[in-house]
Amino acid sequence: MTAASNTYPNAQQGETAKKARFNSDLTQVKIGLVLILLTGIGPVLAGNEYWIHTFQLVNIYIAASIFQNFLFIDAGQKSFGQGAILGLSAYGTAILFGLHGVPFVLAALGGIAAAALGGLLFALPALRVQGFHLGFVTMSAAIVFPQLLVTLDRWTNGINGISVRIPALMTPIAFGISPLALLVTIFPMLALIVHYLIRRSRLGRNMFVSSLSPEAARSLGIKPGLMRFAAFLIAAIGTGICGVLYLPVVAFVSPQGFNIELSFVFFFAVVVGGRGQMLGPIIGVAIIYVLPNVLLAQFVEYRLLMYGCLTMGAVMLFPDGIVGSIERLRSKKNHGGTGERAFRIDGFLAQLAGTGTAKEPTEEIAVEVRNGTKRFGAVVAVDGVNLKVRKGEIHGLIGANGSGKTSLLNVLTGLSRLNDGSFYINGVDTTDYPADKIANMQLGRTFQAPRIFSQMSLWDNLRLGLDARNGKGSDAIDALARAMETEFGHDRADLLSHGQRRLVEVMRTVLKESTIVLFDEPAAGLSKSERNNFADLVRFLSRQLGKTVILVEHDLDLVWGIADRITVLDQGRVVSSGNPEAVAKDAAVQHMFVGARHA
Amino acid sequence: MLSEILIIVIRGIAIGSIFATIAMSFNIVHGATNIFNFAQGNMFILGGFAAYFLANGAGIGMWAMMLIVAGLAIAALVSFQGYITLLPLRSSVEQDSWLISTVSVSVIVGAILMITQGPFAYSVQSIAPSFRIFGTRTPGAYGLAIFAMIFWYVALRLFLKHTYSGLAISALSQDFDAARAAGLPVRRLQLLAFAISGLMVGSVGFLVAPVISVSPDAGLKYVLNGFVAAVVGGIGSNIGTLIGGPLVGVVAMLTAYKVGGAYQDVASLLVLVSILVFRPQGIFGRVTARRV
Repeated sequence: MTAASNTYPNAQQGETAKKARFNSDLTQVKIGLVLILLTGIGPVLAGNEYWIHTFQLVNIYIAASIFQNFLFIDAGQKSFGQGAILGLSAYGTAILFGLHGVPFVLAALGGIAAAALGGLLFALPALRVQGFHLGFVTMSAAIVFPQLLVTLDRWTNGINGISVRIPALMTPIAFGISPLALLVTIFPMLALIVHYLIRRSRLGRNMFVSSLSPEAARSLGIKPGLMRFAAFLIAAIGTGICGVLYLPVVAFVSPQGFNIELSFVFFFAVVVGGRGQMLGPIIGVAIIYVLPNVLLAQFVEYRLLMYGCLTMGAVMLFPDGIVGSIERLRSKKNHGGTGERAFRIDGFLAQLAGTGTAKEPTEEIAVEVRNGTKRFGAVVAVDGVNLKVRKGEIHGLIGANGSGKTSLLNVLTGLSRLNDGSFYINGVDTTDYPADKIANMQLGRTFQAPRIFSQMSLWDNLRLGLDARNGKGSDAIDALARAMETEFGHDRADLLSHGQRRLVEVMRTVLKESTIVLFDEPAAGLSKSERNNFADLVRFLSRQLGKTVILVEHDLDLVWGIADRITVLDQGRVVSSGNPEAVAKDAAVQHMFVGARHA
Repeated sequence: MLSEILIIVIRGIAIGSIFATIAMSFNIVHGATNIFNFAQGNMFILGGFAAYFLANGAGIGMWAMMLIVAGLAIAALVSFQGYITLLPLRSSVEQDSWLISTVSVSVIVGAILMITQGPFAYSVQSIAPSFRIFGTRTPGAYGLAIFAMIFWYVALRLFLKHTYSGLAISALSQDFDAARAAGLPVRRLQLLAFAISGLMVGSVGFLVAPVISVSPDAGLKYVLNGFVAAVVGGIGSNIGTLIGGPLVGVVAMLTAYKVGGAYQDVASLLVLVSILVFRPQGIFGRVTARRV
């Protein structure tokens, strides 16, 4: 193997200089915790009742905005109705506690349950639609909510609202600090930590990928709908707790308190502070809420106008928000591309060398298509295709543009359905399996347009494969993953060339330890040496690790160099199939080769 | 009883044709830019305010002139809004920015109206005489609303099929990149689409001012119902809005009659959610194949 003689260029380069962090999330969390502590405890120590009350509310709004930030960016769900979620919980608690005398803790649980239910109701349309549709739905919910509170006065006391007193929470326990003051300080801090931990977790990455590219998520075995439900539920419970805390702080709930304006405050706070930045909601609430309501309190009727203008100004002047703009400057200063050396696979191959044992394709069938037909309207993209791929072989799938290669891959990975016929993976009829279920049968794929996410570090992009692994992985891949983490943990994925991005996707399937891999034009845009390295990798996957490889590729030299069998598609039909020599001599495909080099 | 239902249906259709016109104004901007202008409802209400301040109790000649003035002024305002909305999109890859900027423009317009006019509903005298249907007086503005819907449907159809600019806007909505590559003045066409949408909602707001609540907080109600009408008809389909708008209007009126006026918005929300869950592409919408 040629690659084994190479050194590991990435590792050498990594040791020379310590790289700047990919993002400043952790630093921002630390600053955020200090700020919340200040706004929570500071006014109490200063002993000013007005400031105490105001900043308790500010802290609640910070927590709600943190969950809005999570929902909006990490999970990609455009909700304009988080104020209604907060209101559901505040009202739920107030009705149970204030009107029916249920103990406060139980009432609070009831309130949070109401908020969670509201969150699930928001998630329901999110299963079908995204983006501005969801924005409109949640916004209408936020408009309807106070109307319902007024109309359903039999239960809610209508426009009179509900007053509550909870003396036990107000009595200071030490240094003049009441349990309430403690709660409204600790909870936003917790919210920030929870947001950070979710983002660093597998769940967080899965949510993020689901929002950016549902088809990539599904091909990694993730159910995007489930992720949306989870995101709405987490945000609703968090916002629900804010609603419970709102009650003792304000001591009163009324429909006017939960109109659309409240939802806008959370949303705008996230935008002005910096979408997706850990510190964003805290700075955002300071600007959107504290500035107009506290410092410019004499202009209180201009409040909404200020919200609007501040947000508009932020979108125009700082599209990334205040914190986001600072972060962008930092990141620009610290990162530069490293060209072809940025991502090379010969190093990985060298590291994996010796971990496999020599294998040959078996006669077992890994993938079989029987009479598969896929139509798009009048166009027949895949037309009665029969295909058998043996376990452990490298199967080249070639044909002109539009011959149905990618359509076939999409069918095999469950992203689109056959109109007629069936297909089998390892003998199981998978014709009607959803994509995530097929992916979890240890099948991996790459896309023609690589699904690489610039918002994640290069390592996190690779790590998606590790996340999607089924069962316990092998030690060799674990070791490779650790090396990649040290190497790419703070690298940017958007500095890679298009070809390198494809290789990142290829390595993702390697980390996923898929036993069947489908590569969609992986070699387009690769340099000559990268191409050779890629060929070595595919050979290694097949001959050492025993993986089945289906390779859609236009580079015929590459395909003839490594494939065990080749299938030629033309206008959706199989025109030739067999070992490379036979296919090259087949009269039916001669016209495909200019100058008939392979004949 | 039957005639009561009939009257409700006719009023529902009339109110619904306002929603339909707003939905069509969404469609033209969405087709050209992929933007959904959340501020459209407040722009519509501005038309109502224009009727109150410029033409309340005026003669027919003055009224007609002011209708044109109000329509053009709001068209200019909306195209200015379109201009600033499109500015950040030029450089940024982040596609959420229009969502935020149109929502904030909506908030700004609503807030300015609230500050200058207070939280009151203004009543505007009708220029069109009321007419009798099944023995009940029906305000003339209801007739104007239905007329406006049909007028704008026909006008848009003629414009989109038979003028160079209209065809170019249709091209933008079908394949943006190809249209750009073919050398169309994309930004100018997009601003034109914004201007037309402003002209539509501004003029209709002016026309129907006597039968709507001309108040600073009414805009949201219309933007939402207009959106529901667009979704029911299928986003991008103007002929769909002719069904979707009246349908939403009739549902709202029936709800008000059977359940209570406070539940009108709830009913619209339910219509919206059920359409999105069961037929997200709407009645006349087409499912487009997604590229992977």
